[in-house]
Amino acid sequence: MSTESVVVEARSLTKVYADLRRGEFVALDDLSFSASAGEVFGLLGPNGAGKTTALRILSTVLQPTSGSACVNGFDCVTQPSMVRHHIGFMSANTAVYDRMTAWEMVEYFGRLYGMEDDRLHDRMESLFDRLQMQAIRDLLGAKMSTGMKQKVSIARAIVHDPPVLIFDEATSGLDVLVARALLDTVAELRDQGKCIVFSTHIMREAERLCDRVAIMHRGKILAEGSVAGMLAEHQGADLEDVFFSLIQDQDQEPVAS
Amino acid sequence: MNLHNVKLVYAREMRDQLRDRRTLFLIAVLPLLLYPLLGMSFFQLSQFMRNNASKVLVLGEEQLAGSDWLPQLFDEDHFASSWFSTPKEQDVLQLVRPDTLWPEGVPIGDALDEAAREAISQGEVQVVLRFPRGFEAQLEAVRESLMNRSQTEPVVLDDELLQTEIIFISANEKSRIAQLRVDDVLRQWRAEVTRSNLAEGNVPITATNPFLIKQNDVSHEQQRHAAVWSKVLPFVLFIWALTGAFYPAIDLCAGEKERGTLETLLVSPAERREIVWGKLLTIMTFSVITALLNLASLGVTAKFILAQFSEIISLPGASALTLPPLSSLIWLVVALLPIAAFFSAMCLACAAFARSTKEGQYYLMPLLLVVMPLMMLPLSPGVELTLGNSLIPVTGVVLLLRSVIEGQYVHALKYVIPVVGVTFGCCLLAIRWAEDQFNRESVLFRESERLDLGRWLTHLFRDRADTPTLAQAILCIVVVSIVQFFVSLSLSAQEGAGTSFHSLAQLLFISQVVCIALPAGLMTLLFTRRPARTLLLDRWPRISHVLAAAGLAVLMFPLGQQFAQWVELLYPVSNEVKEQIAAFSSVMQTAPNWWLPLVLIGLLPAICEEIAFRGFILSGLRHLGHKWWAISISAIAFGMAHFILQQKVSAAAVGLVIGVLAVQTGSLIPCIVFHAIYNSLTVLSVKLAENLEAWMVKQPKLDIFFRTDNQGFFQDWVILVCLCGSAGILWWLHRIPYHRTDEEQLQENLDKQFVGA
Repeated sequence: MSTESVVVEARSLTKVYADLRRGEFVALDDLSFSASAGEVFGLLGPNGAGKTTALRILSTVLQPTSGSACVNGFDCVTQPSMVRHHIGFMSANTAVYDRMTAWEMVEYFGRLYGMEDDRLHDRMESLFDRLQMQAIRDLLGAKMSTGMKQKVSIARAIVHDPPVLIFDEATSGLDVLVARALLDTVAELRDQGKCIVFSTHIMREAERLCDRVAIMHRGKILAEGSVAGMLAEHQGADLEDVFFSLIQDQDQEPVAS
Repeated sequence: MNLHNVKLVYAREMRDQLRDRRTLFLIAVLPLLLYPLLGMSFFQLSQFMRNNASKVLVLGEEQLAGSDWLPQLFDEDHFASSWFSTPKEQDVLQLVRPDTLWPEGVPIGDALDEAAREAISQGEVQVVLRFPRGFEAQLEAVRESLMNRSQTEPVVLDDELLQTEIIFISANEKSRIAQLRVDDVLRQWRAEVTRSNLAEGNVPITATNPFLIKQNDVSHEQQRHAAVWSKVLPFVLFIWALTGAFYPAIDLCAGEKERGTLETLLVSPAERREIVWGKLLTIMTFSVITALLNLASLGVTAKFILAQFSEIISLPGASALTLPPLSSLIWLVVALLPIAAFFSAMCLACAAFARSTKEGQYYLMPLLLVVMPLMMLPLSPGVELTLGNSLIPVTGVVLLLRSVIEGQYVHALKYVIPVVGVTFGCCLLAIRWAEDQFNRESVLFRESERLDLGRWLTHLFRDRADTPTLAQAILCIVVVSIVQFFVSLSLSAQEGAGTSFHSLAQLLFISQVVCIALPAGLMTLLFTRRPARTLLLDRWPRISHVLAAAGLAVLMFPLGQQFAQWVELLYPVSNEVKEQIAAFSSVMQTAPNWWLPLVLIGLLPAICEEIAFRGFILSGLRHLGHKWWAISISAIAFGMAHFILQQKVSAAAVGLVIGVLAVQTGSLIPCIVFHAIYNSLTVLSVKLAENLEAWMVKQPKLDIFFRTDNQGFFQDWVILVCLCGSAGILWWLHRIPYHRTDEEQLQENLDKQFVGA
């Protein structure tokens, strides 16, 4: 793993939403992290920790209130189009089209990425083989099961062979079998040298998959490091223990101060 | 913008829509079924009208039995066949004898009316036809008097007895139809009696009709058709264009948001603009196809039904209801394209704003409420193609279309520029708005929040930004125009307003300070954290900028005059307005001193209007992220704030220049200087025009600068020099590095993102 080749970098990302009730709601509070090629970087956090907001900023769909983010050397705010060319993004919110077949859907996005038809079709054939999607090739999105849809989403996200992949709670709602298959695919992609940012609230997934993890809570990173390093530093039996103790400490802090 | 991506998005959306059963039904199947169904039901209705039998109760039938010369009215159970053109018509009018209905005897007087009402209400008969006792004798007397005209003694006739009575209930459909039928028969019968009487008395039949009235309609057949079709067809076509645009728009934006596929598309490399254009073209395709299919279906149905119709009911102008000529149809399709583009862009923007399809559907009604009056306006009598009307979106297109269909090409040509300009501008604005919706994360990821007016107002004040937001700027434009409208309405209601210099000064003061400066000033204080920054008054301008503004005003003045001259030449001012202007300047002449008019017309509007239009409104509009959009919209708003139509156009043009001044110098002072000098020159030029001829006689050398041939004020070379001079100053201004808003900075970076990649 080459630590010098930082591919994804977030610097002091802050995101503030106007909120009628609370005045301002801080979703991200001075968040910084980086991820390199050939590693899986895990963002761990409870619901509402700001994981989705952070990843949406990386995928250029949201703009930070302050701070900056870089993907493959392109700025997420001022060069969004270049950034989108170099990432594959997949989240629980990125659905597949109901009235398109699996093949059409992946082909459409491949073309949007500017791929030549020949190269695209070769790539799609190999992808469909690898993800075992040949059977659902001509099935409309509306008739697919959740697992099938997730497969199509993965194929859609990696069809242009991007150097950076962002998975936002990608395994939520999947059964064990499909989730396991997805994790295997992610590991495979890592081994190909991709930089992968992976957010989840399921600790076992992070333990299995991530080279480095950052634990997020209320828009801040509480701890960051390799899984083994974290366990050692915080003296927990597993990641879940560490996670709990960190978040409890954090929740008590404002009361104490 | 990458056309390849637009094409991809378009192709996908088209395929997606074509796979949707609901859309297909609405777009293709509904129009194909609707008109034939409508036609069928209409046909059924008329069949019913024709076949519905009416029963007529005849009282006093025996009154007609005695005379041989009377033409036969009855034939057993029916009227005689000679009073009808077809046997069918004779069949549906049946006679009822009184003894079957009222065996105890026929009631008389008021009792008869009562009994008749009862019988008609029960449906036993539809009308009662009564011949009074002595009717025949009176008829005989009339005939006798005609035959023996030499008799000195005049024959006395009883009007009371010489009338037949049809008793019916007008509120009852069937009774009404029967009444019309019986009336028709009696009129024919009476005509026959008259003819027979005259023939017997050796009076020529022309005695009753000494002369004829000939209706000579010299309009061409095409013109008559055009008159009908040019009103009906645009309406039908454009309503369907809107409907055809609306439903796909909802599905393509709000629907995608709801289904979660929008985020998938947004993380793809397709630019927002490419997505918007791809979707827009899809919506427009459906809009055009829906409209055309409806037109075709209507045409085919009309072709079959109309032929049947004209023989059933004799509608007034039914002869005009043949199919429209091909040329009108071609013009209709030509006009459909910009209208469809406009509607599609509006629907797209509304749909992009909606969170869900349900919310999207709510926007159809307001949209219809806005568009319908614009389409109805040209239908109202007396609304013609004028400059004012041509500047109204949609209405202008419909009126232009009507002129073209009616064949008035020369007249229409004059208004092509404003109509096309307005339509094009509106399209761009709507597209721009839609694009904006796609860029705003608050719209894309909008979550429903509980509505709380109090909290919202606090938020508005508490979280106010340094300068006004876009929405607040637009609100300011709306508020200014509404206040202006009501104040001018209430002022014009006052008697003697503006007839003396004092009251005129008062009017000017109110219209500037109350209508324009006050709303803008209040909104600045309420909605912005830095009022001085908002009004571009936070720092002193450079002397060079102020001097440039002053010079520009002097140089622009002849150009402005020339432009106004052209505008008036092309679109003449009505006499009424001319009188108003003349009254205005004659009152101005009664000013107590020379400088007061300059202050009232030169300085006051310069300060008030600049605070509003270049201060608050332009500052807010600049959050659009593109200075030219901001300048153009503020200029149009500035133009609209003027009272006379031709003035609006010229003022909007001047507004562009002042907008550039404001953006480039970053200060309101140069704008005020420009505006004050420009307006003052206008005041002075009125004085100059009065004395010009006298001066010219004294100083013939002035001839070099001025002209007196009513082709304008200045010689051509002066105009040319001014043009070059103003262009030079504007170029210099253009090169000043100006302060960019965050949005403008971001936009510039975004435009540069592909350079060097």
